[in-house]
Amino acid sequence: MKGFNNLAKPQLNHGCLCLMALLLFLSNDLSLMAAESGTNGERPAETVAEKVQVVTEKINDQLALGYREQQVEPAGACDDHVFVRRLFLDLVGRIPTQEELSGFLQGGSDSKGKRLRLIDQLLQTEEHFIHWADLFDTLLMGRAADEKYTQRRQHQWRAFLENSIRVNQPWNEFVEEILLARPVEETRRGGNWFLYERNNDYQQIAEAVAPAVFGIRIECAQCHDHMLVDEIKQSHYWGLVAFFNRGKNEYGKAGPQIKESAIGGFSEFADLLGDSSPNLLTFLEVDAVAEQRPGKDKKQVDADELYESGTLENGPRVPTFSRREKFVHEVVKGHPRVARALVNRVWALLMGRGIVHPYDEMDSMHEPSHPELLDWLSQDFRENGYNVRRLVRAIVSSDAYQLASRRPEGVDDPATFAYYLERSLTAEQLARSSQIALLGINHRDAGLNAAFRQQFPDLLPNEQIANVKESLFLSNSQKIHDLLASSKEPAQLIPRLEKMTTDHQRVNVLFEVMFARKPDPDELLMVASFLSKRGATAAALRQVAWSMLTSAEFRYNH
Amino acid sequence: MKTRHFPLNRKPSDRSCGSTEHTLHRRLFLQGAMAAGVASTGSFSGLFSVPALADVAKKSGKKCILLWLCGAPSQFETWDPKPGTETGGPFQAIETNLPGVKISSLMPQCATIMDKLAVIRSMKTEPGEHFQGIDVLTRGDQPRPPFTRPILGSVIAQQLGQLDSPVPQFVLLDPCPEGNEFKQFKAGNWAGWLGAEYGPIRAGGNYSIPNINRLDEISQVDHADREALRKFLSSKFENDQRSEAAASHNAAFNRVNGLMSCAPLFDLKQLPEKDRQRYGGGAFAQHALQARHLIENGSTFVMVANGMPWDNHVFQHEMHQMLVPELDNVLYQLVSDLEDRGMLQDTLVIAMGEFGRTPWLNEARGRDHYPKAWSLAMAGGGIRGGVVHGATDPLGFEVVEGQVDNRNLFATIFEALGVDPHQEYDLPGLPTFYRVEEDAQPIREILV
Repeated sequence: MKGFNNLAKPQLNHGCLCLMALLLFLSNDLSLMAAESGTNGERPAETVAEKVQVVTEKINDQLALGYREQQVEPAGACDDHVFVRRLFLDLVGRIPTQEELSGFLQGGSDSKGKRLRLIDQLLQTEEHFIHWADLFDTLLMGRAADEKYTQRRQHQWRAFLENSIRVNQPWNEFVEEILLARPVEETRRGGNWFLYERNNDYQQIAEAVAPAVFGIRIECAQCHDHMLVDEIKQSHYWGLVAFFNRGKNEYGKAGPQIKESAIGGFSEFADLLGDSSPNLLTFLEVDAVAEQRPGKDKKQVDADELYESGTLENGPRVPTFSRREKFVHEVVKGHPRVARALVNRVWALLMGRGIVHPYDEMDSMHEPSHPELLDWLSQDFRENGYNVRRLVRAIVSSDAYQLASRRPEGVDDPATFAYYLERSLTAEQLARSSQIALLGINHRDAGLNAAFRQQFPDLLPNEQIANVKESLFLSNSQKIHDLLASSKEPAQLIPRLEKMTTDHQRVNVLFEVMFARKPDPDELLMVASFLSKRGATAAALRQVAWSMLTSAEFRYNH
Repeated sequence: MKTRHFPLNRKPSDRSCGSTEHTLHRRLFLQGAMAAGVASTGSFSGLFSVPALADVAKKSGKKCILLWLCGAPSQFETWDPKPGTETGGPFQAIETNLPGVKISSLMPQCATIMDKLAVIRSMKTEPGEHFQGIDVLTRGDQPRPPFTRPILGSVIAQQLGQLDSPVPQFVLLDPCPEGNEFKQFKAGNWAGWLGAEYGPIRAGGNYSIPNINRLDEISQVDHADREALRKFLSSKFENDQRSEAAASHNAAFNRVNGLMSCAPLFDLKQLPEKDRQRYGGGAFAQHALQARHLIENGSTFVMVANGMPWDNHVFQHEMHQMLVPELDNVLYQLVSDLEDRGMLQDTLVIAMGEFGRTPWLNEARGRDHYPKAWSLAMAGGGIRGGVVHGATDPLGFEVVEGQVDNRNLFATIFEALGVDPHQEYDLPGLPTFYRVEEDAQPIREILV
C-alpha cells in the first residue's frame, strides 16, 4: 500500500469493522442491531449514550471556545416547541403532527431529558431512514428528471440506500461498496447504480467521486492544475478518471452491473502549454499506483488469464489487476479525507453550513471555521467505526443545535454557529410536511413530491435565495390547490376546523398544525378578523391554510 | 445540484433591519383592521394599501435586445462577403445604402438600412469550441473558476433595470430547449456573482412561464385576500426573526402579482397578426417580435435564441440560404420598428454568435469553427450607424485592421448603454474583478 504524502495515516481496526458489518447483514432484526452498531467491543464498560455524550461535550466546548475568541454572545436556547419542529424536520423529514407536538410538550418538565429521548426515538424510525436516503441520494446522485428517480428505484439504488441507513452501515464500507460495484450478495446489487447511472462517462464519475468521497471539487483541474488550490493537480483529475475508465456498463441477467477490462485506458493529457503527461493512477496525497504501461506502438492483448471469476454467479469476471479495486484499497481505504468529508457534510446538513464552507470544497483555499473540532470529530468518527448515526445523535444533542435561530445583535458571521442557521426545507420535506398539515398523515403523494422536486431542487445551497418561479408555483399550481381541496375527511384539518365553535379555537389549531406554536395576539386578531369577514367556511379556511403553507415560517427550518 | 452566489452588488435592503418601524406599521394596520370591522363591505385585502405596480414599469433608460445566433453564423454569408474568391462561397455581394460597402446577397433588406447599422468585421477571439465560446462571448471574459462572471443580461438588468418593476428585467426567449452545448450552458449559473435575482426569466415557445395564470377555481378576491394574509404572517415572521431567508422568500412573492399581470406580454398570440406576418413565421422571428414587445413594456434586456441552429458543419451554404434571409428580415423589421416608435436611440440591438466559420469548406461542404476573424452587427442605443469597423484580408483568413476581442466588444456595449466598463466589482473576500478586465478600450469609432 502506498503511503500518504501529507496526511497522517489513520489508525483503524479493519478486522473488527468487517465482522461487525457481516453480523449486521446476517441479523434478522436489523433495526435493533442498528442502535448498537459501531460500538467498539474493546471498551464494553461504556454505554452508547455515554460515548455519544463525549462527542457532544467536545462540540459544546469547542464552539464555546469560538464564541469567547470571537467575542460573540450566542443566541439563547430554543423553546421546546421550536426544538420539536426542528428535530422532526432534520431527522424524519417532516413537521410534527399536532399530537406529536402536544405529546412532547406535555411529556414532563425535564426538557433536556425528553429532548434526548425524542432524538433516540426518531433515529430508530423508518421515516428517518427514508429521509436520510433522500438526503444522500441528492448528495451522491444529484437532482434529476423524474424518470431518473424511477430508474433509481427500479434498479434497487433507493432500497440499497435505505438499507444502508437502516443498519447504520459504517460509512467507509458503504463508500467502498459503491465504488467497487462488486456486490457480494444479490441484495446489495443496488449499489452498482452509483457508477451505472453515469453511463460510462468517466469524467462525470470522477467529478462525482471527488466531492462525494473526498469533499473536494476537481472540475477546475481538467485543463490545468487548480489555479488557486495547490494540492489539486491536473494529474489527479485524469488519475481519478483512469481508475474508472476500464469499467463498462452491462445490463446483466440480474440487472445493471459494471464489468472491468484488464487492458486499455492509457492516454495522455495536455496542459495549457500543450505539454502532455501520461494518466497515471494517482489521486491527491497518494502516490501513483504501479501499473505496467505498454510501450509506444505496443498493443495490449486481452486474454482470459488476466481475469478471475466474479463475486456473484451471474456477475462479470474480474481482472486480476483491477484499477477500481486498486483505487478502493490503496486510495480510499483509510484515507483521512473520507472521514473528514462525511463529518463536514453531516454537520452541514444539521447545522446549515459546514465547518468548511462550502461543504464540498474542503481544500486549502477554504479554511475550517473550527479546525480543532473538525480534526477531533473526524478522528473520533474513524475510531468509532465510521458510525454516522452516532455522529448525528451527537450533533443534534449539542447546545449549538438547540440555539434559537434569531441572529443576535452583533453576530454577523454564520460560521460562529452562535445561532441556529435557518434553511429552506427540501422538496421532500415540503411535500411531506404539507401533507402532514392538511391531511394529518404523509400519503407519500408521488406527484406532489415530484412537483416540489422540480421547484425546490437545492440541498445545502451556499445562500438561501428564493425565486419568483417558486412563488408562482405556490400561488397558482394545480397541485397545491388539489392538496388543499383534498383535506375533506372528518379527521383532516379543514373539516376539523369547520366543526369548531369559535374562530379563536380555529386559529389556535391552525398555528399548532402549521407552525408548531401558539399564535401571538396580533396574529390571533388578524386571522380571526379574516375568518369573521369571510365566514369560517371550508373555502375561507382553505385560504387561511394556504396563506400559512406558503409563508416563510412554514417554508424554512428555523 | 447547487448554485453559487456571492452576496454583492445588491441594493441595500431595508426588509430585515429589525427596526421598530415595522412593528409600528403593523400596529397601525391592526388598528385599521379593527376599525374596518366585521360589517364593512369589500375584501379583506382592501385593508392593505397596494401600490399601483403598473405605473412603475416605464422609465426612460437604455435597453438591449441580443439576437443570439447560437452555433455561430458565417461571416462570408453575412457581413464580410468575399465573392469570386476561393473562400467566398456561391453567393454574391450586393451594394448597400452606404456607398462602397457591400454585404452578402442573402441580406437584401439590411442592405437598405446599413446607415443605421454598425458592422464589425474584425472580431478575433480565443475559444474555438461552443461551450467556451458561448461562455466568453456572453460573459465578456475567460472563466476563472470557481468565480462565475455574470452574463451580459444580468449585468445590464442589475445596472439599468428596475427591481421593483412587475415586468421581468432580463428575459431569455428561447423556444428550443435543446441545442447541444448551448443546452448545457443554459443549465449553468447565468447571474454568477450578482446573485440569482438577476438571472433571466426563461420563456418562449412552449415554455410559457409555468404557473403564471391564476387558477379558475380561485377568484380574484380570494387570490388577493389570501395573499394579503400570507404577506402579513410572512412579513411578521421576517421582522420578528430578522430573517434574511424570509426576506428573500417575501421579495419573490412580491413579484408574483406583477408577473401575473404581465402574463399577456408572454403570449405570442396577443401580438397583432400583421406584425407577426411581417416578422415571419419562424420561432426566432416571432420571438424577436416578442422581444420588441417586452422592451416596449418595461423589460431591460431580452436575449432571443433558438437552440443552436447556426452550427453548419454540413451543407453550410444550403443551411445559411435558409437561416440568413430570416435573420436579414428580423433585423430589418426590428430596427425599423424601434425607429418608428422613437425607441431606437435608447435600444441597442446586437446580432452575434460565439465565433465565425472557417474560410475553407470541410469534406461535408460545411464550414467549421473559426474564432480568428469574424463579424457581427449592432444598431441603435448609443451606437453610430453607417460604420463598418475593421477588415479582414482578401480571403478572410486574418484580421488586418481594427482588431476587436471580446473585451473590446464588451467595453463598447457597456459604453453604448451608459454603463462604466471599467468599474471594479465590489466583491468582499474575492479577487478583484472589473466589469471589463485589463482596461480594454471600446471601439470609439462606432459609439455615438
